Amino acid sequence: MQQSRARLFKEYKEVQREKVADPDIQLVCDDSNIFKWTALIKGPSETPYEGGVFQLAFAVPEPYPLQPPQVRFLTKIFHPNVHFKTGEICLDILKNAWSPAWTLQSVCRAIIALMAHPEADSPLNCDSGNLLRSGDVRGFNSMARMYTRLAAMPKKG
Amino acid sequence: MQNENDTVKDDAELAASISATQEKEWGCCSVQEPSFQEEEAAKVPYLGDKEPLSSLAAEYQAGSPILLEKIKILDSQYVAIRRTRGDGNCFFRSFMFSYLEHILESQDGAEVDRIKVNVEKCRKALQNLGYTDFTFEDFFALFLEQLDDILQGGEESISYDELVNRSRDQSVSDYIVMFFRFVTAGEIRTRAEFFEPFITGLSNTTVDQFCKTSVEPMGEESDHIHITALSDALGVAIRVVYLDRSSCDTGGVTVNHHDFVPVGTNDEKKEASAAAPFITLLYRPGHYDILYPKPSCKVLDNVEK
Repeated sequence: MQQSRARLFKEYKEVQREKVADPDIQLVCDDSNIFKWTALIKGPSETPYEGGVFQLAFAVPEPYPLQPPQVRFLTKIFHPNVHFKTGEICLDILKNAWSPAWTLQSVCRAIIALMAHPEADSPLNCDSGNLLRSGDVRGFNSMARMYTRLAAMPKKG
Repeated sequence: MQNENDTVKDDAELAASISATQEKEWGCCSVQEPSFQEEEAAKVPYLGDKEPLSSLAAEYQAGSPILLEKIKILDSQYVAIRRTRGDGNCFFRSFMFSYLEHILESQDGAEVDRIKVNVEKCRKALQNLGYTDFTFEDFFALFLEQLDDILQGGEESISYDELVNRSRDQSVSDYIVMFFRFVTAGEIRTRAEFFEPFITGLSNTTVDQFCKTSVEPMGEESDHIHITALSDALGVAIRVVYLDRSSCDTGGVTVNHHDFVPVGTNDEKKEASAAAPFITLLYRPGHYDILYPKPSCKVLDNVEK
């Protein structure tokens, strides 16, 4: 408990320093609980997520950083490796390939990379995965873009 | 018609490929239930008590005669075995306890000074490789703290029982295992050219991928690459005794061992440090435990070399 708190505090300070360095990620710690974080990440360019801003929720377990944070999308997203209902993310570093060398900030970077490079062969969202696997890139892009417009873009007017 | 057939065929292929990969893909993404092996492993403490080798023989009562023969030989050379939990961290945990126990018993201040120099080199190596300081510094600090606590003279110096307790306490034990994982990854990445052929031969991945998936994550098992890297990085020799079913054609059963001697140990030093490495581990396929040599056998091992 002490160890995880100390580590998270260091990450907090690092985030304050890096804010300018990484404009695509805005990582914020809950005011009253250092084990709860949220992040706003920008959809990577040249993907159907471009122009969208996606919110992630982090729940950090007590044995952190020996165990990974639990991360899910709060913003609806159509992506093969994100559960369409729960926002759960299928990413190896959040499971068995986790190591303390990762940070909350670098996890955000890995999730942005996952958005740009979906792994259609290990889908949590089968509809999305099947579109890509059957080669219907156009269909996939149009669905993903539609949900980006509906859920991840600020409403105008 | 042609087209329609193709479509049908494609669909069938797709369905087949989906069902073929289904197991793998759900393996990644389904809720992770602890496997039977993990549950069994969790019943064993991180570090067991010293046990006589007869306890090892008891395990193989009905087993291969070659193994029993080999255990007999081990029994003549070693007084005890100390088991570690089979959770994928057994090599690092065995090394941890074996090393710290040696320092506690020998009170070898010069060795502590020496390893601290190496630990600092490892810290610099990680920095040079671009690791963020705060991701590894807590693990380094905890290991150095153990060294200071163990050398008597300090007011805080700890007893043998306390060392055993700490090695069984997750918050200390896992942190030190992780320290070794960082050191090992740093060494492999720094000497990537040297390690690359071994890594390609073992797992057909890049050095970076290997470190990310097989060294840095807790619970990933070690093999000769990890052992070589850790031994080199910290400058600590490790003897691994192999207990498996292999035997010579000539009929005589012998127990093989391999000494991992750190690079940069020159011959003079080898002569000086003469005796067998002070860390001896027993390897059975997939698992490491600690062995305690009989005092008289150290001489015998020398002659062998």
